[in-house]
Amino acid sequence: MSSTAGASDPVRGPERPRFPRIPRPRLPRARTPRPESSAPSATPATPGAGPHGEAVLRVRGLVRTHRSEGSAVRALDGVDLDVDRGEFVAVMGPSGAGKSTLLHLLGGLDRPDGGQIWLEGRRVDGLSEARWALLRRRSVGIVFQFSNLVSTMTVADNVELPALLAGASARQARTRREELLGELGLADKARAVAAGLSGGEQQRVALARALVNEPGLLLADEPTGSLDSRSTRDVLRLLTRFHEQGRTIVLVTHDARVAATAERVVSLFDGRVADDAAVESAPRGRRTTLADVLELKG
Amino acid sequence: MRAELRWAAADCRARPGQALLVTLVTAAVVTALMVAGVLLQDAVNPWQRIFSESSGAHVWLHLDAGTGTAALSRLDGVDAVAGPYRTAVVTVPAGTGKLPLELRAVGSAPPRISRPLLRSGRWLDPAEPDGVVLERTAARAAGAAAGARLAVRTADGRTRVLRVLGTADTADSGPCPDWTPGLGWVLPGTLAAVGPADGRTGLVAGLRLHDPADTDFAVQQAVTALGGARVARVSTWQQVRTAGELDGRLLGLLLGVFGLVSLVAVALAAAGAAGERVLAQVGDIAMLKAVGFTPAQVVRMVVYQHAALALAGVALGTAGAALLGPVLPDPVGPAVARWHELPGGAVAASGAAVAGGVVLLVVAAVAAVPAWRAGRVPAVPGIRGVRRVSRLSRLARLALLLRLPPALVLGARDAFHRPLRAGLTVARLAIPVMAVTVALGSWATLDGFRAHPERIGLPAALTARAPGLSPGAVQRLLAGTPGVRAAYAGVETEALVPGQTRTVTLRGLGTAAAPYPYALAEGRGIRDRDEAVAGQGLLDLMHVRVGQWVRVTTAGTPRILHVVGRSIEPEHNGQMLSVGLDALEGRDGPPPPQYWNVVLAPGADREAVRAALAAASGGRLDVRPVANPADRLGAVRVVVAGLVAVLGLIGLAELLTATAGGLRDHARDLGVLRAMGLTPRQVTAVVTTGTGLTALAAVAVGVLLGLPVSRWLIDLQGRSSGIGSGIAGSPSPGALLLTCAVAVAAAVCVPVVPAARAARAPVTAALRST
Repeated sequence: MSSTAGASDPVRGPERPRFPRIPRPRLPRARTPRPESSAPSATPATPGAGPHGEAVLRVRGLVRTHRSEGSAVRALDGVDLDVDRGEFVAVMGPSGAGKSTLLHLLGGLDRPDGGQIWLEGRRVDGLSEARWALLRRRSVGIVFQFSNLVSTMTVADNVELPALLAGASARQARTRREELLGELGLADKARAVAAGLSGGEQQRVALARALVNEPGLLLADEPTGSLDSRSTRDVLRLLTRFHEQGRTIVLVTHDARVAATAERVVSLFDGRVADDAAVESAPRGRRTTLADVLELKG
Repeated sequence: MRAELRWAAADCRARPGQALLVTLVTAAVVTALMVAGVLLQDAVNPWQRIFSESSGAHVWLHLDAGTGTAALSRLDGVDAVAGPYRTAVVTVPAGTGKLPLELRAVGSAPPRISRPLLRSGRWLDPAEPDGVVLERTAARAAGAAAGARLAVRTADGRTRVLRVLGTADTADSGPCPDWTPGLGWVLPGTLAAVGPADGRTGLVAGLRLHDPADTDFAVQQAVTALGGARVARVSTWQQVRTAGELDGRLLGLLLGVFGLVSLVAVALAAAGAAGERVLAQVGDIAMLKAVGFTPAQVVRMVVYQHAALALAGVALGTAGAALLGPVLPDPVGPAVARWHELPGGAVAASGAAVAGGVVLLVVAAVAAVPAWRAGRVPAVPGIRGVRRVSRLSRLARLALLLRLPPALVLGARDAFHRPLRAGLTVARLAIPVMAVTVALGSWATLDGFRAHPERIGLPAALTARAPGLSPGAVQRLLAGTPGVRAAYAGVETEALVPGQTRTVTLRGLGTAAAPYPYALAEGRGIRDRDEAVAGQGLLDLMHVRVGQWVRVTTAGTPRILHVVGRSIEPEHNGQMLSVGLDALEGRDGPPPPQYWNVVLAPGADREAVRAALAAASGGRLDVRPVANPADRLGAVRVVVAGLVAVLGLIGLAELLTATAGGLRDHARDLGVLRAMGLTPRQVTAVVTTGTGLTALAAVAVGVLLGLPVSRWLIDLQGRSSGIGSGIAGSPSPGALLLTCAVAVAAAVCVPVVPAARAARAPVTAALRST
């Protein structure tokens, strides 16, 4: 990643790391691809400490079936997944592969029909909706493709809302919001109503909102799905930067170029993990992200 | 907490019109309920307050002069006896007429029991032998303030000028001139001077009881101890209290009933608006949950928001009651204006707080169901409830068969394709329509009082009295005057009811051969000398029904009468027993008439006949118009008009909700329709047809329900006030049609703007939105 961009870049902002880095050794990238048929029985007896030590997220045998008017669609059919601290994982797959369902289950927005989820060593799949909400406030930030913001609120209120929820005072929330929006080049939009922003701006505000409580895990569901290439580049740059700051990111996308931003790609097909590979081991050989490509061109 | 409040505030800002409307109608309902509370309290309070402050007597016995009253203080349950005082009835000029005034001879020190509470001037003074202290309402009726000179006319025609020393409140009698005679206090020497020449004065004694509930028993004992023949009239504290509260109470009840109906309507409107808002915001709520709102927080958010709107409404309503109340017509305005001055003001304020609190609770509580639904919105974005698919309704298919325009057909389908939802919308809209129908019924009833007084027991437009003329002369005079259809001689006397617990008014009017045209609600008219008709108040008092026999005692003579009918009785709380004048015939023929009720020929002008009678008699005939209860109920019209306005606002709020719901429900359908080739105008027509048809159904249901409810409520009020059921008028068809037309027109016009906006939004956006 190039760091030659000036401090005036509205998206990248100044180089000073705003979030304290979590000191930890970089983990080796290479990992053995998980076989497609990995059975839930392979679950270690004591979750939390995976083969690589610090698993932020650990999923075993996740099953979710969508039922509507007599027909049942098995969206997830026994998914296993480990995400280590500081990893940037892209989940890919065609439409209907279960990507979004997986993300919703990881964020507690939906309940699995079977399987287990551990978040930072804690079993969370049986948590009530309210407990999940409390967990999300501190530990999980989520960005969607659409309807990321409360349309009737201002940008400032949208960003401050999670901070206030997590117990910050109005002053603290305002300070954090000002810092984040400033960093994202949206300081002048603070008073605007969310519905009046462009798609790219909305996604950047959504990122600010997801990050205001400095969560350990960021879940992003097609965050660039409805954006033009310039906005896509901005958003991906931000994600990359947050990753560099030590944040764990799980990104769902059907766009290979977007997935290339990540360091590891998990492919879902018909509700099962079809492939799980580090980007560096991909045939391309050199790890070039879309952000880099666009930056070079621009 | 802060996060929830921030969302609630943002949501209110996003829909200021709806929030304002909910606040306004809540405020209006609070105002109505508070004024109702003040009226109902004011109706009871002054008497209660005066009674305790003056150590009032519970029972007053009007006795023949010379009755020994020593036995009274020995009766069981009697704590103290007021008086006995000698009394004389005189008349004083009051406006254009005369006011009978009962003067009581008391000492120069105010009595201990039932002490008149001096409000202005000073008490009687032996140094002012011609001084009189008047009861406050009597002084007002006579137009006499402290220091004024008052020309009193004695029973035998002498005139004497007294000096008003002061005015006082008392709990002994009701407000003058409704309650006659008025009351005044003089020194014994003065009474002797204005009393009858033969020195035969009346006597009055008050009983203060240990237990007010024992009133009936105490009266019975007292009458037995003194002898029934010596008791001319009995009045009890209940009668005095009721007399004082009559008008205010009726208005208070009216306001209260309408206030409560409006409260229900407001609650439903608020719940509907909240529910609609939740459905419209499913996406936002899912997002809030993803951010970390717990379901409980989402529920609280919606409840807080509505509680805040209700609180604003309560505050606004309280201010409205305080500012608007005093300028309302009598008796509402004065009652509200006195609200804070009264010693009971604290009680009234707490009552107002209760009214506000109840409204606040109700409006916040009805938000609970939509709030609960909001709490259950799934956190996964983009999930909507399963859409119910329905075939074209029968109505729609019929419309297609008739080759009606497509907008009409689709609108009809939109209106009713989800029966439960459509039913709820119709029901919510029907409630204000029903209440408006009831309000129109009250209005029509008042119109009926004025247009057809004969139907509420007031067939006579004039009463004539002639102290100086012989009955025969008066009869000839009346019969000879053009415009007079008939004149009925009458007397009124007090009669003791069986058990001797109280007196009622026995009226002899007309004869068995030429019966008075009573307004009969049940049974038949008088055909025989032992037959009588009675008002509802009397039937209730004596626990009898039409067809039964009653026994009453007048001047010591027992009479057994067959109650053959129930008449509508607007006077004396309906506690009226009416017989023919010939039924009261004694040994020396029929009693001399006290007055004549003059029934005018159709089309005759009341004032012209009155002037003609006065001229023909050379001024010796005192002719007065009969008071119509509608005169005292003018404030009802203001109240009804105000309530109709409030109900209109509530209906408007419901329409906005229905429109928003319709548009949201069909946002995608409308996109499809436009993609298929409907013009924006046709799309607007689809939406307005939908709401118009819903409103039409609601109006039909509301009016059909409102008509019997209106009749039932008004008759209930009539029955409880003693006038009797059968007074309810039906709203005029014109007014009803106007109501329906306005409601349907509003239903068609309100959605035009939002529907046009939806119709002009890009088709692609409409298609994508669901």
